[in-house]
Amino acid sequence: MKTVEKAKLDGFLGQLAQKYSVLVPVDYNGLTQFAPYSQVQEGVSKLYLDGNVTVSPKTVYLPQSEAMYKFRAQGKKLAIEEMPAMDKQQVVFGVRHCDTKAIQCLDKVFLDEKFEDPQYKEKRENTIVFSLACNNPKATCFCESMGVDRAHAEASVADVQVYEFGDTYGFVAVSDKGKACLDAVSGLGEAADKLPDQKPQEVKFDPSELPAKLKGMFEDPIWDEYSFKCLNCGTCTYVCPTCHCFDINNKIRGEVGMKMRTWDSCMFAEYTLMAGGHQPRQGKKERVRNRFLHKLQYFNEKHDMFLCIGCGRCVAKCPVNLDITKFIKQVIG
Amino acid sequence: MSNNAVENFEPKILVFACNWCTYAGADLAGTSRLQYPPNVRVLRVPCSCRVNPQFVLRAFQRGIDGVLVAGCHPGDCHYTTGNYYTRRRFLLITRMMDYMGIDSRRFHTRWISGAEGPKFQQVVTEMINEVKAIGPNDKFRDDAKIEVKAVETNE
Amino acid sequence: MSNIQNEMRAVAKELLESGKATVVLGWEKGTMPYDSTPVMIRSAADVDKLIWDEYCLQNLSTYLIDFINSEDKVAIFAKGCDTRAYNRLVHDKRINPENSIVIGVPCSGMKNPKVAAKTPAGAEVPMANACKECRYPNPVACDQKIGSDVTPWCTAKDFSDVEAIEAMDADAKAAFWKEQYSKCIRCYACRNICPACNCTNCIFDQSASGWCSKDVNASENQFYGVTRAFHVAGRCIECGQCEAVCPSDVPIMLMNKKFIKDIDTLFGNYEAGLVTEGTTPLNSYQVADPEEFM
Repeated sequence: MKTVEKAKLDGFLGQLAQKYSVLVPVDYNGLTQFAPYSQVQEGVSKLYLDGNVTVSPKTVYLPQSEAMYKFRAQGKKLAIEEMPAMDKQQVVFGVRHCDTKAIQCLDKVFLDEKFEDPQYKEKRENTIVFSLACNNPKATCFCESMGVDRAHAEASVADVQVYEFGDTYGFVAVSDKGKACLDAVSGLGEAADKLPDQKPQEVKFDPSELPAKLKGMFEDPIWDEYSFKCLNCGTCTYVCPTCHCFDINNKIRGEVGMKMRTWDSCMFAEYTLMAGGHQPRQGKKERVRNRFLHKLQYFNEKHDMFLCIGCGRCVAKCPVNLDITKFIKQVIG
Repeated sequence: MSNNAVENFEPKILVFACNWCTYAGADLAGTSRLQYPPNVRVLRVPCSCRVNPQFVLRAFQRGIDGVLVAGCHPGDCHYTTGNYYTRRRFLLITRMMDYMGIDSRRFHTRWISGAEGPKFQQVVTEMINEVKAIGPNDKFRDDAKIEVKAVETNE
Repeated sequence: MSNIQNEMRAVAKELLESGKATVVLGWEKGTMPYDSTPVMIRSAADVDKLIWDEYCLQNLSTYLIDFINSEDKVAIFAKGCDTRAYNRLVHDKRINPENSIVIGVPCSGMKNPKVAAKTPAGAEVPMANACKECRYPNPVACDQKIGSDVTPWCTAKDFSDVEAIEAMDADAKAAFWKEQYSKCIRCYACRNICPACNCTNCIFDQSASGWCSKDVNASENQFYGVTRAFHVAGRCIECGQCEAVCPSDVPIMLMNKKFIKDIDTLFGNYEAGLVTEGTTPLNSYQVADPEEFM
């Protein structure tokens, strides 16, 4: 295990930044999210490693607004210009284990289906993930119950495993990319491999029966009970590390324009609105039901894993405290 | 703001002109051969009250450097009271623009009647000169520049 | 507090048992000690879920919109700001006063759970921002009341935060707002919780209209912010829920308060949500309004 003293983390990240574009969790005026390390150096935002960030690292692979291509249309003539490729590899430092599992979920959607999403794939292949194990879970965390290994990050996603001990960070390369990345940094200490002490999580349940149980519950009164207080805002879906629905729009300025991919939320009325004006998901009940069933049943039936990884962001950020763990526990019984 | 001023800057000024007064006033300025710089784009609206503040915000977002909303004098509205509502609305939105950091010299509301061709000329000329002096608007702008190569393929 | 809570349960029980109400909306304890969340009670057996503590921040009046065409008779508990919200919604004809019962509860200021979550253990959680400036802690209109009125701790509107922004120069103002709105993730929680934002069809749900874009950047977000603030200008009841629920901590009330301040200065003092009919500042005018546009 390689080690870096916490006080020297800046130097470590600075060395990485010379070779890679480095993204770190930051606190930007109260909003925690992943942002370029250069913003920390410039004093725009502060490094934030005390807990998980509000806006999940899915923004690294699926930004909230992303240009797909540009075009110029003149009469019946058309020119299309691809967006430039990534010029160098990027390092994402401090992705929590739950979020590495979430990226595995996104892989199922954007890489493992019949179609590979080129923009997602490019970012996925050119990103080196430093995954940080959590020693002190929040009261809203339930990742263990959702199958996240708190000692080892998701191997298909993480390149370097980071552990936090007292005043040092320990690094273990788990992929070749990660090893090359660590080798490029000088001044690292050495220590024997060990695991940090991790506090147990308070919220615990066994969700294995959920998909089968939910299958017969489409018309259950439980949906009325849970959805009544929902505001149909998009907070839960936008802070969720696995919610991946997007919309494609045009941004047109005269004869030039840009195709944009932007996040969309199943909580919004416009999400299911059809061209003829029909609204198949009329209200909050239908929308909450769809979100919960997608997370806990549909995705499981298709990919054999839950689309909820237990980060607890929606529980903590929901304006009306609509708690998915309470729902799960009630369904399990 | 002077650091924003660029040489040979020609501002784009958008004028929302009420159909019944200001548009006629602008027309009179034209038929009277009153000269004013060609930086204005006139958009005719049925009443100054039709101008939703969103129109103004959108204009600033999309690269307009100054906006003029102009209608009939209070009491003269074709629809009797439209411009009284305009007045309340734009008293507020002018202050909000200033609060958001948009230079208050970029956004004006004026009453210009159908007989006031010279006033139209004077208001737009003054506004163009003022905006020229303070330079291009960089506040509130949606700054994504879309640059695409020229059309070649014949698709 | 606990006396009020017991009284709430007793009132809810009486209403449900007598059939005067078929639904009672109140607050129950949520996930964390600082979460008090809306609860819908249909049976007198469930009234013990009801709680009253310093985190009952959320306004329940907006839920009455869901019951506008319902056969249900709905009772809600309402703090001072919630009764103003109730009036606002009746004024906008978005709820049916005939099928609702408002049980007023004087409030001595609530705390924001989002702030509590960030406060270190043991430290005192401050009163929510909007509550600090509250002038109507007692219900302004209700069908029945629980507890006794409290003395308002504020008598005049406090615009010192707005004035601090006004005093900045144009570049600093623009930089401040750009910074704040670049955090916005456009989840529309502020809109959906707002009792004044009660349109059946919001312009920001119609991106095909071209008037709003799903593209999230500082410019579009500010466009959203100003538009929303303008749409609630003269109707905002200053409950501060928009700012309290914002996951990105955008100071939304600074925008709303700017309009409130200007309306007061230009058109005379106005208090939204005190009456259920008549005009609001932006759907009325005075011939003698200030004239700046000659």
